[in-house]
Amino acid sequence: MDKKYGVYICTGCGIGDALDIKDLGGVAEEEGYPVKTHPFLCGKEGVELLKKDVADGTNSLVIAACSRRVNFDIFRFDGCVVDRVNLREQCVWSHPRSEFPALEEDQKDSTEYFDRLQMLAEDYLKMGMARIEKINLPEPYKLDTLNRKILVIGGGITGISAATDAAKAGYEVTIVEKEPHIGGYAAKLRKQLPVEDPYEDLIPPVIHSKIDELEKYPNITVKTDTVVARIAGEPGDFTVTLKKPGEKIEFDVPFPLPEEMKLDENGKDLDVEKQHELYLQYNEGRQDILTFDPNGEKFGAVILAAGWRPYKPEEGEFAHLGFGDSPDVVTNHQFEEIAANGKITRPSDGKEAKSVVFIQSPDKGDDDSDFAYAGSITSLVSLKQAKYVCEDYEDGKAYVFYQHMRTPGLSENFYKNIQQEPGIFLTKGSVMGVSKNGDGMIVEADDTLLGEKIKVKADMVVLGTGMVPVTADDPVVNLAYRQGPGFRDIGLFDGYCDSNFICFPYETQRTGIYAAGGVRRSMTIDESMEDASGAALKAIQCLESVNRGVSVHPRSGDMTFPDFFFQRCTQCKRCTEECPFGALDDDEKGTPKPNPARCRRCGTCMGACPERIIGFADYNIDSVGSMVKSIGVPSEDDYDEPPMRVLGLVCENDAYPALDIAGLNRLSWSADVRFIPVRCLGSVNVIWIKDALSQGMDGVFLLGCKHGDDYQCHFVKGSELAEIRVKKIGDALASLALEEERVAQFEVAIDDYDKLPQIINDFVESIEELGPNPFKGF
Amino acid sequence: MADKYLVEPDVEFIKDLQKLGGDTLKKCFQCATCSVACPISPDNKPFPRKEMIAASWGLKDRLVGNADVWLCHNCGDCTALCPRGAKPGDVLGAVRSYAITEYAEPKWLGKMVNDPKKLPVLLLIPVIIFLVLGLVLKIFGVDWLNFSPAGEEIAHSKFFSTWLVDMIFVPLSLWTVAIFALGLKRFISDIHENALNEGKTDKEKIDAVGFVKALGRVIPTILKHNKFTECGENQERATSHLMVFYSFIGLFIVTAIFFVVLYVFQIHGPYQQINPVKWLANVSGVALVIGSFLMIKERLAKTDETSVYKDWYLLGLVLGLGLTGMLTEMTRLGGAAGISYTLYFIHLVFVFNLFAFLPFSKLAHLVYRTVAMAYAEYAGRK
Repeated sequence: MDKKYGVYICTGCGIGDALDIKDLGGVAEEEGYPVKTHPFLCGKEGVELLKKDVADGTNSLVIAACSRRVNFDIFRFDGCVVDRVNLREQCVWSHPRSEFPALEEDQKDSTEYFDRLQMLAEDYLKMGMARIEKINLPEPYKLDTLNRKILVIGGGITGISAATDAAKAGYEVTIVEKEPHIGGYAAKLRKQLPVEDPYEDLIPPVIHSKIDELEKYPNITVKTDTVVARIAGEPGDFTVTLKKPGEKIEFDVPFPLPEEMKLDENGKDLDVEKQHELYLQYNEGRQDILTFDPNGEKFGAVILAAGWRPYKPEEGEFAHLGFGDSPDVVTNHQFEEIAANGKITRPSDGKEAKSVVFIQSPDKGDDDSDFAYAGSITSLVSLKQAKYVCEDYEDGKAYVFYQHMRTPGLSENFYKNIQQEPGIFLTKGSVMGVSKNGDGMIVEADDTLLGEKIKVKADMVVLGTGMVPVTADDPVVNLAYRQGPGFRDIGLFDGYCDSNFICFPYETQRTGIYAAGGVRRSMTIDESMEDASGAALKAIQCLESVNRGVSVHPRSGDMTFPDFFFQRCTQCKRCTEECPFGALDDDEKGTPKPNPARCRRCGTCMGACPERIIGFADYNIDSVGSMVKSIGVPSEDDYDEPPMRVLGLVCENDAYPALDIAGLNRLSWSADVRFIPVRCLGSVNVIWIKDALSQGMDGVFLLGCKHGDDYQCHFVKGSELAEIRVKKIGDALASLALEEERVAQFEVAIDDYDKLPQIINDFVESIEELGPNPFKGF
Repeated sequence: MADKYLVEPDVEFIKDLQKLGGDTLKKCFQCATCSVACPISPDNKPFPRKEMIAASWGLKDRLVGNADVWLCHNCGDCTALCPRGAKPGDVLGAVRSYAITEYAEPKWLGKMVNDPKKLPVLLLIPVIIFLVLGLVLKIFGVDWLNFSPAGEEIAHSKFFSTWLVDMIFVPLSLWTVAIFALGLKRFISDIHENALNEGKTDKEKIDAVGFVKALGRVIPTILKHNKFTECGENQERATSHLMVFYSFIGLFIVTAIFFVVLYVFQIHGPYQQINPVKWLANVSGVALVIGSFLMIKERLAKTDETSVYKDWYLLGLVLGLGLTGMLTEMTRLGGAAGISYTLYFIHLVFVFNLFAFLPFSKLAHLVYRTVAMAYAEYAGRK
């Protein structure tokens, strides 16, 4: 695009009072940019001014005013690229003149004094101008063909609800169910937990009426006895191969070569050709992922509602609770089967079970955890099944021994109601053991609410075992993705598929695939139905984003996508392997094949690429690199004691807003730091750090989200990868005789804003102790 | 492991407590706000939290013979603060009511006292006894029951001879004392065993002298209603209870004087209004009426606390007793002979009910609570 530039400086919100606007404008004028100032740029007159210039042809605007996170809608102009220079939150608000004084008239020409705040603002303006030169208007990535059908995997309560919700919204849906009938576990219950006000009593299973409702929708197709062999392609254009359970077909998904097979006998990596050969052997009889099934069915998005299976205790696992020893010790799943068949009787002799003990936590002593894969649902199920005992026998007694009784939200009403049953006895306590007592059993418990060690007689004992997501056993979705058929690092979540539980429910680590119900966490039927609606909406959001060629989430509406300059690709595969969302496939040579609709635009590939051939229209190696280079680095030639220059690469998801909040709260930090917002720390290419240091900056730090098992990174892997990459450049720094300590990474959450000044100032202080960068002035 | 307590919940016991005013007992979720709120609960093993779990688990053996339920004065602080509406105060009231029935033999009589359908029978019993005894004596020529008393002056003994009254009420008092004695024997042994089990006492055995001394120490507390006034919620109840309490003491003194004067000095009533004994009698009677009336009013106003038949039976009885007593006197002074004699008869029926069913009614708390407080004092419960 032919760019016509314009720099606009707002002097409102205290900017004009603190800064020398004339000098600031001079910086831009020096570069040949037309400069305009306005005391209230976001006001009606200010916007008119901008609009008029845009109408007159200005299409590249540097708006030096408040943070990019506010007034973004006001300063958005069609067909224009805009950069927002943050003079308010990160300059004047966070650097009060009382602490960062302006120069007196006689100090201005001295080499002893400098105005830190003015320097800060001028640098930011220069960075904005550097960026605007390097970025372009994005063009959306449009699929050749768009399919708007939604595939629902699993025909249980979640799948049926999701399908109905999507069908109601006018979408065509296909449900695949591996069993001969739909309905799932919800159809196998005697009674279920309440789903509506007053949330007090057990109700007959709702699944039957949900199935009846489903059948009314002509736009829903149900395929029973069917599983997914593979899902290939990208959102909006998935090619799905279906098959009968257990069948072996050529379009069964191939599995990536296990790590140990990639090595030769000396433990070294095999070369690409050899690995590919082994891969083909390993997946003999299966088509490669890049071969699309010509008979495959097309779908636009997938809802994964494959559900759960009851936990199967291993042999001897709960021996101290009598499981495996006595047939009268059963899991809650087995108990439900007995209850669904009629009156509750003992499996051993068919006698009436009038005294039943429900155990919620298997371990005695300090470990008070519940059974694996348990949750509030297992607490609620114990109450439900306790009620069965009292329903079947007027003199029935049901004891619930728990370490945690979880009845969240309105299920508290259910708890209160069940508690009223005279024959139900609840206590916290640690169950010490189950022993035989005649033809019955004795259950012993310590630390109960009754004040001491107690024992009760039991005809049956029920263990509150959990709900194992089927994704713990099997990929289920069978994605024809180079990174593998399932969800990566699913072990972090005990097999539950979820990319970021709190922030992004339903979203999995694979764009276009949305999880709901028991695959996401153990949950009730009521919660599953609500979850289904969430996933259905997400699937719709996906379809209604890829159709316009924009990112689905979390950068919803982002029109950019990574562009590869393939001529320079060395087939190192780092982008393919490091993409947190498996967006890239590669061919037998290792050349990446981008699938932009799968991409979430985090830029992790850009950060990974050693050849620096990946970039976005408005965010690339050059645009950030130019910003780094535009930062003024004063040396001893300029001042007697020049100030330090430190670069902060700041994640724009949490860390950058936290800085804004700190500014808003008038917290102040060193004025010698220059921040550049990045999409994710994963997108930070180490070349920027090297550039900064080689131009004489004294230190660089990365500010981003927490990583590890309970990561907060919005792109799952970004901050973790950044740390690995930063560690690796430590050696390179050492060879340049630069201290490793000049580069650091800090973790913050959005609410850590009050800790930021300390983090920043401590780092600047540590750099000051190291002394100036020896390359300064070269 | 042998020391583990075998828990055998008694579901019927739970249902009984629920009928006796403890219908909220299953609402407890063991937060212990009640034990913290209670101004009179001891620091060691405080009540009523432990009583609440025992009640919801139907542990009869831990409640019926538990002195702690008697230390509670049902002031309602716990009930007012309970976040779940479990009303611990009312649950303990129900436990006490159950315990009264449990310790007073014969049990069937206790059941009758707690059954509103049996109220006519209870009222009819004294009527029948009075009439049958009076008429039978008449056959033998002893004219102690005269349906048409003669003479200008109205004297109730002309209608219903003092001899006949005492012939009935003296044995009745002995019966009441005997029933209490039998009940207390078990009660004291049970509460001691319970205190040993729950670690609430440092005394191995009950030493009679020590126990009586302890009783002596708690009497002033009872007379001053100290425990009652520690409560936050129901301060006003202390006043009405105190009125009724002292009026009963006053009337007891009057009756004792009357009895002695009659049998020792052979002087018959009614006394002159200027007689100090009469003053005491009148003041007590008025206090009884006002006190019981206030108690009824307070109960009706307290919608957050449960009131059941056992409460209304006793309050009705006390108010009836006071009203009929006072009205009998007033009609006598007013010269309405027929009405006065009728009221006197009704009054006697109420007195009979009060005496005969004392060990079975809520009023038995005067014995059990006193003993329990004495025991707590003796056992060093703090």
